[in-house]
Amino acid sequence: MAERNLQQILNQLRSNPGLPYPEASSLLSKAKIQLLQLKAATPSAPGTPGASPQHLALARDVYEQGALFSIRARNPDAFTRYVSQLQPFYELPATAGSGERNKVTGLYLLLLLTQGRYAEFHSELETLSTRAKEGGAGEIEGDRFLGYPIKLERWLMEGSYDRVWKAMKSREVPSEEYGVFSEILTSQIRSEIASSSERAYPSLPLSSTKSLLFLDSEGAVIDFARHRGWTVRDGNIYFPTSAATVDGEPVNVTSDADAGDDKEFSRMVIENTLGYARELETIV
Amino acid sequence: MPGKTPHSNGNEPVENGVRKNQDVDMTDEKSSLKGKGKKGVKEGEDMTVVVPPSKTTKQSSQPPPPDADGDVEMDVDKPEDLEVKVDPVTQVITDIKSNFALLDRAVALFDARFTLRALRSISSLRKRLTPDILAQVIAETFSVSSTSASVAKQLLVAIGKEDVPLGRQASSEMEIDSEPKAPAKNGNKKENKEVIPEIDIFLSILVQVYLFDSKQFQQGAEFSKYLSERIHSLNRRTLDSLSAKVYFYYSLFCEQLAPLPPSPQSPIVAIRPTLLTALRTAVLRKDIDIQASVIVLLLRSYLLTSHISQADLLVSHTQFPENAANNQVARFLYYLGRIRAIQLRYTEAHEHLTAATRKAPASSCALGFAQTATKLLLVVELLMGDIPERATFRVPSMEQALHPYFLLVQAVRVGNLEDFEVTIAEHADTFRRDGTYSLILRLRQNVIKTGIRMMSLSYSRISLRDICIRLHLGSEESAEYIVAKAIRDGVIEATLDRERGFMKSKEVGDVYATREPGEAFHDRIRACLALHDESVKAMRFPMNQHRLELKNAQEAREREREMAKEIQEGDLDEDDLGGDFEGM
Repeated sequence: MAERNLQQILNQLRSNPGLPYPEASSLLSKAKIQLLQLKAATPSAPGTPGASPQHLALARDVYEQGALFSIRARNPDAFTRYVSQLQPFYELPATAGSGERNKVTGLYLLLLLTQGRYAEFHSELETLSTRAKEGGAGEIEGDRFLGYPIKLERWLMEGSYDRVWKAMKSREVPSEEYGVFSEILTSQIRSEIASSSERAYPSLPLSSTKSLLFLDSEGAVIDFARHRGWTVRDGNIYFPTSAATVDGEPVNVTSDADAGDDKEFSRMVIENTLGYARELETIV
Repeated sequence: MPGKTPHSNGNEPVENGVRKNQDVDMTDEKSSLKGKGKKGVKEGEDMTVVVPPSKTTKQSSQPPPPDADGDVEMDVDKPEDLEVKVDPVTQVITDIKSNFALLDRAVALFDARFTLRALRSISSLRKRLTPDILAQVIAETFSVSSTSASVAKQLLVAIGKEDVPLGRQASSEMEIDSEPKAPAKNGNKKENKEVIPEIDIFLSILVQVYLFDSKQFQQGAEFSKYLSERIHSLNRRTLDSLSAKVYFYYSLFCEQLAPLPPSPQSPIVAIRPTLLTALRTAVLRKDIDIQASVIVLLLRSYLLTSHISQADLLVSHTQFPENAANNQVARFLYYLGRIRAIQLRYTEAHEHLTAATRKAPASSCALGFAQTATKLLLVVELLMGDIPERATFRVPSMEQALHPYFLLVQAVRVGNLEDFEVTIAEHADTFRRDGTYSLILRLRQNVIKTGIRMMSLSYSRISLRDICIRLHLGSEESAEYIVAKAIRDGVIEATLDRERGFMKSKEVGDVYATREPGEAFHDRIRACLALHDESVKAMRFPMNQHRLELKNAQEAREREREMAKEIQEGDLDEDDLGGDFEGM
């Protein structure tokens, strides 16, 4: 009974990916209640009699759909919850060959990437690579869903922002859910580029800044420049922060800071030397 | 102060005899862990590299990977080192039995050091163990009437000698024996009284070792399961260091069983609860041995199945005992370094791995561990942007194993992306086996960065197009972004000119004008001081020694006082002065 209901809900969810989130989530909660009745909400500990593999597979499908819906609704918290719920299911032998696993994992990787949680990103990646080795599935980078975030990460780290940009714009995006992150990524790489430009260029002409920052018009460039606190003069952009670090006009500020630094430095040297003396005393 | 030195000197000879063994033993065992633990493939590699001259000099420093035919080998090897007249079998038996005395003393004096000493002898025994020898020892140790007869039966079943009767007198031994009298007597004495659990656990460990070396993993795992339950029910504090070993082998057995580690169905996952409970109990009892070894085992198990976040949580929720055995510390540091490397915390990883390689035993026996740790350390160094020293690759014992890494370092050092990718493609299997592959893939950006740095150092001005061509980057735009990022990250000191499309390098400042040399100097001094502190802490002083000293000091003071009194009296005679010096 409960099983049939579940199937029904799943089919409903699968056939209408465009379902508004509130409706989908109400369906999902119904599904979860059914799962609880089947005692398949979480896989049981090994050795104890638990739910049948079919039920567990159903449970996994429900969570996967939930994850996808929450991503479509741009709800990263709910998505993360679903992913953690899915984790134990993926460890089970019976449910190993599931269809949506790579998609969900890929999305999770992308989420970690956009949130700047690189440590977790790489931990997840390590798990994936051992999994690939064991399954003999070959390179994970070859996978459509998993390869995408991995490539993006590599390019981001390297600094090939244009490739990231192209990857997001082109047909390389594996599925529509991945598009959700494009916006976040765009603003992320834009601010990355901006911060490196501040240090790298003495000045930039407005016209080329447009292409540099992947903006649509010069008006947008000026808005962005103002937002970052850059000064725009005669069609050129000047970076205030770079002026302060290089020998620009606010020399007083830097020399003051230098003096403070020097003082601190000599204090440190004295402290260290006294420390050595004390240690020597104890040794000798 | 003066009393201390002579006394500890008096202790030395006894200690020394054991310690010489110990160094070799412990390393032997560890390297065997590494050698086998790393999926057996490394074994071949180790073997090719192990060509140290010292091998023949010490009897127990057999090459790490123990073969199934240990018993045969023993017969060939033995006569060189030992007196030829002693029958090797008897020798082993007496060797095993001599440990019983140590265990007895450990229980009587409640001093774990004796137990540790007994454990150390395992690896020298390990090559010579055969079911016959074990059965004989067991039969001679346990009598039929004793309550632990059932335990002995279990042991015999485990080694497939269930038909050997218990309580056999050590008669055969007495006949052949010419010199080792004391241990034999010991064995007889034990016949009369109850066998202490420590001895039967010690024998169980020997059985475990035997099963492991003869690759009977399934049987070993079952036996270990029974053993760990028994330890649990015995609940004796004097068993602590022994149980640490039991858990160690238990986990090793599970690692070798059917679905091999990377799969989540491996038995190694199933024993985690057991290990975690053991850890909890150990922490509550402040039991350092079990804590250290179980934490290490758990970390190993998590890393084998790539549960990095779980491993990280374990590390953050437990405290590794500070004064754990050196080898456990080395292992722990290695695993910790691995976790941190995966999490991109390279500085910490570097620190831990350096410590791990330094703490690794220097003798050739733990070569597997040293190699694995060094490999990881090299990769982490590269990831940090450092170039490892060339001398590392010249060490004869490492040269061959590190060769792929050497090529890698060369590619990174020159900043040649093409070489780098060729090296990766060529040695992908080696890197995968070493578990460094995913880390090495991250190096790509470092290669690019080094390339840019080289270019910025050699050219005062270079066009982006040239950079793009030399580094084999996709496009000029990519090159521009990459260079800009490098400038922001402080890799190079340069500016970009977008209109004309070139990179202009700035003059490099004098390093000695900055505070960097001072800081490096400070770091080194601190390391030296820490080393001194550690060695002071590592010194062991005999118990109650200070009382003796106090007594000595008091006597000396009394003597002085007497002398002072005499002088005083003499003075009194002369000067007629009255004074009370009693208060002094």
